[in-house]
Amino acid sequence: MSFFGFDTTLPRDRGHQKSAPGFSHSDAFAGLSDRARGPTDDDALDFDDTYDGLGDQLEETGDDLNEDTFGAEAEPATQESVGRDFDFGGATAAMSRTMQEEQMLYQARQPPPAKKPASPPKSAATKPKRSGYESYAEPGYIPRLEANASLWGIAPKKPAEEPKPTPAAASVATPAAAQAAAGKKMMSLEEVEAMMRAQQTKKPVTPQPPPQVPQHQDPISQPPSQQPPQQQTPFAPSILQRPPQSATQSTFGPGLQRPAYQAEHQALPPELAQSLREMTLRESAAMPANEQARAREPALPTQQGPTQPRQILQNPNRLSGHGQPLQQHYHPEPRMPHIGASHSRGPSFQGPVVHAEQLMHMNEAERKAYLVEDARRAKRNHKIHLLSKDNGLMTPQDKNFITRIQLQQLVAATGNIDEQNGEAALNEDFYYQVYSQIRGAPRQNPHQPANQFAQTYLFQTGGRYGLAGRRHHRGADNHMQRMEQQVQRAVEAAKLKPKNKQLVIEGSLGKISFSNAKTPKPLLNIKRPESSDSKTQNQSKGPPSRGAMHVDNKSVLKDIENVYTTLMRLEDHERHLPPPVDVAGNDALIHEHIAWQQGAKALIDKIWSDLKVMEPIIPNSPVSHPFIAILSHPKGKKTIPRVFRHIDEQQRITLITMIVVHLDGLDVVRLAMPPYAAAPEEDPNAPPATLPRSVRDEIDLFHRTVMPSLFAYVNEAPLSIVSGLLGLVLDRTNVQQLLRTRVGLSVLAMLVSRAELVKSTVGQQQQQGGPEQQDWDLWAALYGRLFDAAEPALAHLFPGRANDADDVHVWQFLAAMGAGASPEQQQRLVLGVKDRVMETVAVSKGLPQEMAAQRLGNVNLFMRAIGLDVELLS
Amino acid sequence: MADVEDSGASAANEPLDLVRLCLDETVFVKLRGDRELKGRLHGYDSHCNLVLGDVEETVYVVEEDEDEPSSEAVRTVKKHSEMLFVRGDSVVLISPQPAS
Repeated sequence: MSFFGFDTTLPRDRGHQKSAPGFSHSDAFAGLSDRARGPTDDDALDFDDTYDGLGDQLEETGDDLNEDTFGAEAEPATQESVGRDFDFGGATAAMSRTMQEEQMLYQARQPPPAKKPASPPKSAATKPKRSGYESYAEPGYIPRLEANASLWGIAPKKPAEEPKPTPAAASVATPAAAQAAAGKKMMSLEEVEAMMRAQQTKKPVTPQPPPQVPQHQDPISQPPSQQPPQQQTPFAPSILQRPPQSATQSTFGPGLQRPAYQAEHQALPPELAQSLREMTLRESAAMPANEQARAREPALPTQQGPTQPRQILQNPNRLSGHGQPLQQHYHPEPRMPHIGASHSRGPSFQGPVVHAEQLMHMNEAERKAYLVEDARRAKRNHKIHLLSKDNGLMTPQDKNFITRIQLQQLVAATGNIDEQNGEAALNEDFYYQVYSQIRGAPRQNPHQPANQFAQTYLFQTGGRYGLAGRRHHRGADNHMQRMEQQVQRAVEAAKLKPKNKQLVIEGSLGKISFSNAKTPKPLLNIKRPESSDSKTQNQSKGPPSRGAMHVDNKSVLKDIENVYTTLMRLEDHERHLPPPVDVAGNDALIHEHIAWQQGAKALIDKIWSDLKVMEPIIPNSPVSHPFIAILSHPKGKKTIPRVFRHIDEQQRITLITMIVVHLDGLDVVRLAMPPYAAAPEEDPNAPPATLPRSVRDEIDLFHRTVMPSLFAYVNEAPLSIVSGLLGLVLDRTNVQQLLRTRVGLSVLAMLVSRAELVKSTVGQQQQQGGPEQQDWDLWAALYGRLFDAAEPALAHLFPGRANDADDVHVWQFLAAMGAGASPEQQQRLVLGVKDRVMETVAVSKGLPQEMAAQRLGNVNLFMRAIGLDVELLS
Repeated sequence: MADVEDSGASAANEPLDLVRLCLDETVFVKLRGDRELKGRLHGYDSHCNLVLGDVEETVYVVEEDEDEPSSEAVRTVKKHSEMLFVRGDSVVLISPQPAS
């Protein structure tokens, strides 16, 4: 805070700093008159050293601040218009009083003849050193600070124009001080007081009697002085113009210096007052007249001396109106001798000057015109007075302050959540605030704007008492600058507000989106897969690592769904087959076909990989092969016929091979392994165990879906493939198990029958064929192995009892075997199943005609295969 | 492309994809109004409308004794349907159910 390096703890210094302009004022003196501070030259040097010319810089703008400090010039300069946020009158007046007393004492002790016109008492007085605030101690200084000086139309006097300001001169520079100093003819303090009192007492009584005024003045307060009465009169009005005002308003702001000033002088002890009076008189008499002031009103005293006070006393209220514009009305009036003066003195002086006495001197027309004018003016003044009652109540600072508050609220309302005042924010959005405090960091940008806002508003408002107080003199444009800066910063801060539309908070399930009018907040933010295409492509991307062999139910289901997805796309693709190309050949059409075939190929490849047929086979793996797992689901089985159409020959044989190799691993075989199969003969009376319904359903489904495809393929397969498949079955699977299940038997029958069919058609033609012979030899060996494996189980092939109708597949298998069997093998077959045949025939006799025929027909399948017939048995 | 979660995620990007896996499988469906269904899922849509085959429906009925209001007995009513359309707004949950 120490602006000039002062020790700020001293109260005087504080006072001084508050009113920096005062300092600059005296600083100017320091540079100007060496003579003035002759006795204290050393001290003055100290002063210069200390202040280092800083004051000169401040001085340059010293005058601008007046409006700012004391109210805008444009407004009628009433007492109210003067800002109340400076306390020159309050704080400094209190201090100045003591100073003044000291001064008075000093002067009283001084021998009166020491009247050097140019000797300023302050140089010799109690103050050893010019510290810049002497002027505050001077009673006259306070009025000079009053911006009202400009009211009188006198430009505030530059210190430079006043080579030796004396306390006396200053003391007269009361409200009217500036003018008084200019005029160089001044009333003594007592005179001033007298006039005031006279006016106050007069006013309530009657404004009229002119002769009484001087009489009143003299007895009451006019001291025996050499001062001629004429001298005071011209200045009386300027001094008195205020008392009416204050009388009507009856309340002086505590900070206004005028009452303090009056009080001081009234409180002075008589001797002091006397000495002061003498001093002022002396000073005023001896003071070299201010040239300009004298030139300004040379004729005034004589011309209008007696009338003026009266006029003012008679129209106290009018004076308070300060009807500035009314001035002009009087300019042309010849009887208004004080025009020039009033002009220069400002608004309050131009008031209604003409009254009874003067009116009487006017001729009729003039009087009439004047009265009309007067009435109009009074009306207007009244109106203006009413309107301007509260003018200047707020200083520019106050206005700025309030504007700043409003701006702050505006910014806060536009949604900066991070305003510093946590209290309001908490009220606004409690949970978010608490949350964000707990969370702390995750907020991304808001911290930056927060600081900015804090700087912009809080520093600014705080600066009102800190910085602004010091820079007081910077004037109005300083405030404007600040306002502009503030708005600019607000805009910047708004720009800096988080640009990104989303705020990802850790741990939340989604993103928090900021919404605004242009882009409303999306309630859902679902990231869609690019397409199902990519999905399946991902799936088809080669065989997953061997570690991924773990096949659980869910992944199998997913595999199946992938197959279906691709399958449906493929079938859809099929429907978009372009029209067949005609002979002429249409290039575009051909291209379409090519593209279509490529697409179909890609889809087929995809399906093929989806089926996972090519997954490596892991022997003795606890989990089944993915493809087999797919087949274990009904929908998996259902895919086979649909897929089978599309895949090529190689893929079909691969697929069938996979099925055959895992035949005993198929659920339809595994689950159908009947533990009951062994039971029938041991316990004939036991209720026949039946497969669970779901398994039967599965088996049925398998037969309806998978088997036809297999049949279709095998029925056209060459012997080599059939041999190969049978060899795989014999090598890789549990044949005994297969023999007891319907699916197993069906597959075996299928293979054997196909071989027999091939043998019957092809074999007859080239029985002795070279390379073919090897195949037949191989087949014969395989058949032998199968027969050997099946023979012991012949009795257990049938799932149920003889009365169980569900044994067609067994008879089919037996027929197939019997067809390919050698006569010796046929005998063994017959031996093995003879009992069953007999049973069935017996059972069928007790059955209705239809059913019996069916049963016998089943049996006949086998019997005819070996060249027999059921009829022979019966 | 070398997506590690090929087998895991690609087939189930949204909840109903999980329902899709249950197509043609036996599912357990819980409905509002204390009803449960068990059957083969033939079809569904985005509203969870379901078509079920071979459905066994269980209805839980709370019976209050008139003499003693406090004592409640839960009775189950079972129905069997060959094919069932279930409106989705009553579906509470769908769960795969191992066929038994």
